[in-house]
Amino acid sequence: MTVATETAPRGATRGWLVVAGQELRDLWLGGRALWLSAAFGLLLSVTAYLVATNTDLNFLEQRESVNVTMQLAIAVGTLLTLLAAADAVSGERERGTLENLLLTPVSRRELAIGKLLAALSLWLAAFVVTIPYVWVLGHGVGVVGDALVSGFVVGTILAIFLASLGLIISLFAGSNRISLSLSLFLLLALYAPTQLPAGAKRGWAGDLLLRVNPLTAGEHYIGKILVDAHSWSEDISWLVSPIVAAVGFAVLATVLGSRFIRLPGGFQR
Amino acid sequence: MTAVQATGIEKRYGSLVAVSDLTFTAERGEILGVLGPNGAGKTTAIRVLTTILEPTRGTFSVAGLPHTKPEEIRRQIGVLPESAGYPERQTGQEFLRYHARLFGCSKADARRLADELLAEVGLSDRGGSLIATYSRGMRQRLGIARALVNDPRVLFLDEPTLGLDPAGQRQILNTIRRVVEERGSTVLLSTHLLGEVEELCSRVLILNRGRIVAQGTVSEIVRQAGAPRSARLRVATEDLDRALAALTGAAVVERAEVANDQLGWLTVTLGRENGRPSEELLSDALRTLIDARIPLLSFELEGARLSDAFLAMTESQ
Repeated sequence: MTVATETAPRGATRGWLVVAGQELRDLWLGGRALWLSAAFGLLLSVTAYLVATNTDLNFLEQRESVNVTMQLAIAVGTLLTLLAAADAVSGERERGTLENLLLTPVSRRELAIGKLLAALSLWLAAFVVTIPYVWVLGHGVGVVGDALVSGFVVGTILAIFLASLGLIISLFAGSNRISLSLSLFLLLALYAPTQLPAGAKRGWAGDLLLRVNPLTAGEHYIGKILVDAHSWSEDISWLVSPIVAAVGFAVLATVLGSRFIRLPGGFQR
Repeated sequence: MTAVQATGIEKRYGSLVAVSDLTFTAERGEILGVLGPNGAGKTTAIRVLTTILEPTRGTFSVAGLPHTKPEEIRRQIGVLPESAGYPERQTGQEFLRYHARLFGCSKADARRLADELLAEVGLSDRGGSLIATYSRGMRQRLGIARALVNDPRVLFLDEPTLGLDPAGQRQILNTIRRVVEERGSTVLLSTHLLGEVEELCSRVLILNRGRIVAQGTVSEIVRQAGAPRSARLRVATEDLDRALAALTGAAVVERAEVANDQLGWLTVTLGRENGRPSEELLSDALRTLIDARIPLLSFELEGARLSDAFLAMTESQ
């Protein structure tokens, strides 16, 4: 009879990798992520078609079209990442599947890391879907490389931040609906400053507001590279808040995850 | 050798005491029945012992490991949680493979183990189907297979037969019996099926309102409860009314009634006279019939049942 070993075997796959692998299978083979990515591809197609071919709507300069497309990819990709992470613990609790996971010797921290990694796959998929659109829209003006690299770097930083935020909300939410609603509300609140009139963004207060908000700071940084053709280092200070938020929230999510991935009143180890 | 030892375990949710002063042991290879009405604290007790919940007070060890090492304990135990959910989009095979890998199996071993366990619980032919298509009984059997994935030294089964029809209940209990015989694991079995507990369990623990109200073998529990014993007497049908009247008036008889299942039979519940043995009480009841010149065709003394003891202990408090 084959049996699982009684102690953690040497060379066995790390728990977080096993969790991440299964979560990825559930997300992608279960159909949810695949459909969402397909829907995102459709949205990008419509947007790209309009900015590239319609003479009435094609008021954007080519660099700006690439910037809009990349910003859209980051917005949608990180939104999907946030929602997947927000479902990670509260969803398992609600479906009654968390207890079986907690009964395994895999630590809570490893469960948190595995679930975070799986959620990040949605951003990566959104990015991959965006590549051909950026290539078509930016072809000939030498912006494709910059757009893909800066978009990938900033998008990944923001996705880590939002996935961690979603997981933290999921740990404490009383229900999955609350977790998803609160996450969505926070995301909209973070994006709200992008809708402010240009005048409100000027001056030290406007500048500070844009800089401390990781989403607006990341958007600003990419815009400077893609639209204004700035060098990578010229506006690097705008990446401080996204990086601090990503690292800080990722650490917080794994620390809190190791204590609070549990049933109500459960073990804190 | 002691497989489970609990000492003074208490679990509180704010001011609500779910479990209080839980002290007991389970020996290696035994099946310990954990009984109690709804809300008695059975599930909380099992969740504490399986390291899902942290006790507010008290200590315990499982498979020789102290409660301060929850991850090590989880390597040694198998658990079928009450009303566990299953990932609907996974197949039974995938579900078991995943859990085997979480316990450290390689991919190949996990696949082999999943196949073996599916065969052991009679799900080989449905291993490739989505769990969403499983009946409740099939899910329970899958849950038992999941609990065996690490060849546990101690098995906690929380209401494994809940919501199953009699055939399904019998199937699950046979599976448990076979697992214990073949693997020699210790089992803590929480259930409402008292008849099956009598049949399966070497010892029983009765919980009520978070506290242990009795523990021991079934016969010890019955004695502790002082539950009444009963007898069945057979007389000629034309003597049935006279016999009933005579027995109803007898001092040693608590209750007498005509048995519904067989013609001419009476069921007599014997009283509890200063701890006199049931055999003496039955003799007195028989003498009552003889004195009334009612011919007795047959009689049998029935042992007090665990269900009587259970009700006596949980309703009186």
